[in-house]
Amino acid sequence: MPSTLTLAPAPPSEAAEAVRLKVREFLAAELAAGSFSTHVDTWLSGVDPEFSAKLGARGWLGMTWPKEYGGHERTAMERYAVTEELLAAGAPVAAHWIADRQSGPNLLRYGTEAQRREILPKIAAGECFFVIGMSEPDSGSDLASIRTKAVRNGDGDWVVNGAKVWTSNAHHSHYAITLVRTAPADPTNRHAGMSQLLVDLSTPGITINPIRILDGGHHFNEVVFDDVVIPGDMLLGEEGAGWHQVTAELAFERSGPERFLSTFPLLAEFARRAAATQDPAQLATLGRLSARLLALRQLSLRIAAALDRGELPDIPAALVKDVGTTFEADVAEEVRKVVDVPASLDSPDPLGRALAEAVLHAPGYTLRGGTNEILRGIVARGLGLR
Amino acid sequence: MSDDVYDTDLVVSTVREILTGHEPTQLTPERRWDAALWTELAEAGLTGVGLPEEAGGSGGELADAVAVVATLASGAGAVPAAEQLLVAGPAVLAAGLPLPDPSQPLSVAVSGALTVDDGGRLTGTATDVAWAGVVHWLAVVAQGRDGEVLALVDVSGLEATHAANLAGEPRGSYVFDGVPAQVGPLPADLRARYALARAVQLSAAAETVLAWTVQYAGERQQFGRPLARFQGIQMQLAQMAGEVTAVAALVDAAVQRLDRGEPLELAAAAAKVRAGAAVEVVARQAHQVHGAIGFTQEHRLHHLTKRMWSWRDEAGNELTWARVLGAAVATDAPWAVLTTLV
Repeated sequence: MPSTLTLAPAPPSEAAEAVRLKVREFLAAELAAGSFSTHVDTWLSGVDPEFSAKLGARGWLGMTWPKEYGGHERTAMERYAVTEELLAAGAPVAAHWIADRQSGPNLLRYGTEAQRREILPKIAAGECFFVIGMSEPDSGSDLASIRTKAVRNGDGDWVVNGAKVWTSNAHHSHYAITLVRTAPADPTNRHAGMSQLLVDLSTPGITINPIRILDGGHHFNEVVFDDVVIPGDMLLGEEGAGWHQVTAELAFERSGPERFLSTFPLLAEFARRAAATQDPAQLATLGRLSARLLALRQLSLRIAAALDRGELPDIPAALVKDVGTTFEADVAEEVRKVVDVPASLDSPDPLGRALAEAVLHAPGYTLRGGTNEILRGIVARGLGLR
Repeated sequence: MSDDVYDTDLVVSTVREILTGHEPTQLTPERRWDAALWTELAEAGLTGVGLPEEAGGSGGELADAVAVVATLASGAGAVPAAEQLLVAGPAVLAAGLPLPDPSQPLSVAVSGALTVDDGGRLTGTATDVAWAGVVHWLAVVAQGRDGEVLALVDVSGLEATHAANLAGEPRGSYVFDGVPAQVGPLPADLRARYALARAVQLSAAAETVLAWTVQYAGERQQFGRPLARFQGIQMQLAQMAGEVTAVAALVDAAVQRLDRGEPLELAAAAAKVRAGAAVEVVARQAHQVHGAIGFTQEHRLHHLTKRMWSWRDEAGNELTWARVLGAAVATDAPWAVLTTLV
């Protein structure tokens, strides 16, 4: 196996298991109090700023960041345990998810001291939310073809024009880290001339239009920039280094347990059903799906451990996301083969509702954060094929 | 090799070196195993790795024994190393029985209908016995007066039926008619160990099949360029890599659990289910990429794909272990169960 694809086993972490139990206890109490209800794919659809603030108050956001920026200096393994528990419970984590997962780390790497001091403590408190400004109407997998443009004006500020799409929860968020073209496209170097801007979504000239997904939910948006003036010091990192920065960011985006646990609430509902029926076909399906999930957990844990070692395992992360998101979609298909429960959002049966949510969200699993075709291309590079 | 501490890398390179002189061949009823390979391994002390020196083994850690088994699986070595080093050897010791000389091959029988009487005489039929007719010793799960026991029996003088798996590895039966055996308590994790041993072999074979397929795709030219340059081929190889990597991570984790002495059954179940399930993708796509030459006995690919197609069925297939795992996860709190299994 090429070393680009393999990762050392994750050493057991007592601290991670300790915080895992605390989160589990908290979630059980919140569920019992009715403060949230379990749903599939809640890191996209479960926006609940109050819940995010509760997590922030408990120190479960910005966990790995330095204390001086509101973080808690915990390990990636501890953060892994917290995120895994939240996802498995189907808790409403969408509001803060992007900020905690990738925008915060991005600011830590590339932000100015002022930006870090101003924004990171708010993210860690669960009060400041981010969206990803990468895709555009004409630029999906081919991210280097973006056309949103930022031009310096006489005051040294950036004037931005263009549009970003699939910006999850932009209508609830405060900032968008936006990939823009700051130099004309160079046919000899497609990855040159791009930069990241830290955009305050309340800036005049920004329009946020809803784009509804299959179940009617409003999570996606189109964010239109019409001569939007962004202060010059909101350039994130280096001018022209946007592609490199985005690639590093994607390694974080692709490696977490949300890449195989989006449909876990359905699997849990199915496990309860199989417990009740003791149907052999259901038990076998539950066993098969559990084995796949356990393998993915091991892979994802290894990535968390690699992050703790200071590595940026972008190729294994692509591999895990390919295998993991395929699993997420398969959960719904495999479960429905062994239960006779129609998928419906209006089903009186919680299994029918979970199936409906999982099926209607399924096309997204293998698209978001890089399509599985793009990911397999990255893995192929890791295999030395390109 | 009398050192108590082995260097796993050295173990691997030693086994590889020995394997270079033993190209895999098609096994037949006349040539049912690679006796010469076994002799060389035994002379190097490799047939006792992971078994304590004071019991007659070569010493070393579980990781070393796993490395021997995995390396032999990668090379399609036709010897009962997995059975001896990972299953029967440890089981015999756990049952408090004397370990046979590691140069005399030892296998395990977990299926059939067998009883042991109070005088330690074994009666009945052991079926699907790996390396039947080849091994000297057999550790047999049998019914004793108060439940299942482990019986260690010398089978060197017994006839076995000549059944074989898809790769020609012996999988015959023995009939016992009051054969004297040494009897001890059945180690609880014997079947799980057997399943995990097959999962270790499957993982190693799958990794090698991927490597061979990547290599072939880089060499084989069609339409004026290597197969590896075609995006459709790249997608298939990347998908294989995903399967191989997922299996390796879970099998490693289950092995570590065994090493820590934690309950093994559900971790082994998961590893066997996952490794078995990967065979469909890995073997099918390896053959697809290799084209017609891979469909022949002239090419090396079949030595591993046929073993993978067999090993996934042995020591409990995916259905058997998925039911065990599923029954454990089917609770009101499945997540709490899953996070403690591996």
